[in-house]
Amino acid sequence: MPVLECKGLTKRFGRTAALDEVSLTVEPGRIVGLLGPNGSGKTTLIKLANGLLTPDGGYIAVCGTAPGRESHSLVSYLPERTAIPTWMTARQLLDFYGDFYQDFRREAAEEMLDHLGIQPRQAVKQMSKGTREKVQLIMVMSRAAKLYLLDEPIGGVDPATRDYILSTIIGNYNPDAAVVISTHLIADVEKVLDEVIFISQGRVALQSTVDGIREEKGMSVDALFREVFKC
Amino acid sequence: MLRKLLKHEFRATGRIMLPMYLILLVTAVGSNLAGRGMLDGRYHILNILGVLIVTAFGIAICGALLMSFVLMIQRFYKNLLQDEGYLMFTLPASVHQHIWSKLIVSSVWFIVTVLAIIAASLVVAYQGGFLRELLDFLRYFLEGLRKLEVSEAFNGTIYLAEFAVLMFLSLVAFSLQFYAALAAGHSQANHKLLWSVVWFFGIQFALQFAGSLLIIGSNELDVFNRLFSHWDPSPTVAIHVGLLMAIGCVIIYGAIFYAITTFFLKKHLNLE
Amino acid sequence: MQWQFSNDAPIYTQLIQQVKVGIVTGAFPPGERLPSVRDMATEAGVNPNTMQRALAELERDGLVYSQRTAGRFVTEDNTMINTAKRSLAERHVKTFLEAMLRLGFRKDEIIDLISKELGEEEADHASA
Repeated sequence: MPVLECKGLTKRFGRTAALDEVSLTVEPGRIVGLLGPNGSGKTTLIKLANGLLTPDGGYIAVCGTAPGRESHSLVSYLPERTAIPTWMTARQLLDFYGDFYQDFRREAAEEMLDHLGIQPRQAVKQMSKGTREKVQLIMVMSRAAKLYLLDEPIGGVDPATRDYILSTIIGNYNPDAAVVISTHLIADVEKVLDEVIFISQGRVALQSTVDGIREEKGMSVDALFREVFKC
Repeated sequence: MLRKLLKHEFRATGRIMLPMYLILLVTAVGSNLAGRGMLDGRYHILNILGVLIVTAFGIAICGALLMSFVLMIQRFYKNLLQDEGYLMFTLPASVHQHIWSKLIVSSVWFIVTVLAIIAASLVVAYQGGFLRELLDFLRYFLEGLRKLEVSEAFNGTIYLAEFAVLMFLSLVAFSLQFYAALAAGHSQANHKLLWSVVWFFGIQFALQFAGSLLIIGSNELDVFNRLFSHWDPSPTVAIHVGLLMAIGCVIIYGAIFYAITTFFLKKHLNLE
Repeated sequence: MQWQFSNDAPIYTQLIQQVKVGIVTGAFPPGERLPSVRDMATEAGVNPNTMQRALAELERDGLVYSQRTAGRFVTEDNTMINTAKRSLAERHVKTFLEAMLRLGFRKDEIIDLISKELGEEEADHASA
């Protein structure tokens, strides 16, 4: 069963269609890139998969169920913003995730925090922006979820942090789960992806494997993207 | 899930309220001491210090009350409608559980704040024989209770229960009117806070209007006369009915605010 | 083990190349157990499925073999490794010759250049 499936999915804000008849599937064991310029509908799609928005038309399902309370236990979401409460300490954050998510692997998270030199008593507000992003990523990736939705995980961080984030994503690979990475920084993530979905103005322009594009078009996904979305 | 939400909500709010209570306690103790000698007039500095401490106590009381109110609004807004909302609304919990966790916790803090103020005032008033007087008073009170008729005691307990329920539900409805305005205002793309204010006064106005219509209408239709003309209740029953009707009204108000809040949080959540 | 990737070729073919180089140079010695697919993918910074595809093909070629629970191992067959080494070298030579011919060099000039370069390198090594 696909981990994420959309059929004719439509979402309107006022008169503009942020998503227009979007159909796609994401199978387990895949790391998929959701690639498109800003405002193309990537974040809207992710919010719909999270149940933060309701569709105006069409159908979206996570492991066969509509997004809602049950699907929240299956989906691990990394938002673009820092959503973790800043007053919490690292330990309180671990308590929080452990309390609400049965699939949270606390030891794995503790190990990763320790590896970064983050003390349990350290408050999130005392951490630098890069550290905060890493902490949020650690919490999200430490869950044994079926679908990981990462919204711009590497935007706005330094290259070393970027490498760390991508390593964590690869190292966390689970053949029963799927990872969807929404980004506009394609060159950095291309090697990590199985497939890419190009999305533009609310529509799917292309869905293909990375190596498939390289073999057929003789160029990298990044180069193809630049061509397809030339201004 | 609700229990877990409550646990974390208490953690988040306790770190602000408990220090306030500590300040209340410290200024209360200070005021008690000030009363014992500082304000006698011999040393100018002690006089001023004494006045300052007592003023601080007064400010602490206002601060605790104000903080309970501000915290109630701020927790809802910051934790659900701003960036933290991305974390909260993707938890395996329903919108109802989120709302109730906030309502219960803020109501508890309102009540605890009032109790803390009462306790602090007792601390200020504490003098040598105070404990003895208090124990005497309690003994007198308990004896009085023992002398009550069974029916009086029974009714009294029910009154207290009804009153407590009324108080709690009133706190809940009070908070909900703000939650409804915030949730509705936040569904707009721009000027969210402005729209929240508009919604707040809009809802108030609508309810006042509806309420007045109801009163005028029931006057015109002589509803009360017709319902109660054949009914001559004893004072006891009348009080019960009064309390229950008040509870009923509060529940209706609260339900309206609750419906508005859930509607906007479920269908028009607009996290940016 | 340095992993380098170019933009035009599919990643899995590049991985096959680089693992071959690793085997030939001894970064992955004969008979040695290879790290898990996930570890290798993390080190190379690539998708585990792609790494798996590359390793599966190397297995088909016989350069690595897998033992059910023990994992993947580099072959101990030195002839096979040498063949791989030769084919890698031949590819480099081909590319080099294509470039040189494009520049307009004749065969004897090319051999001259190589001898000169090798001679200089020997001198460097001797003095170092």
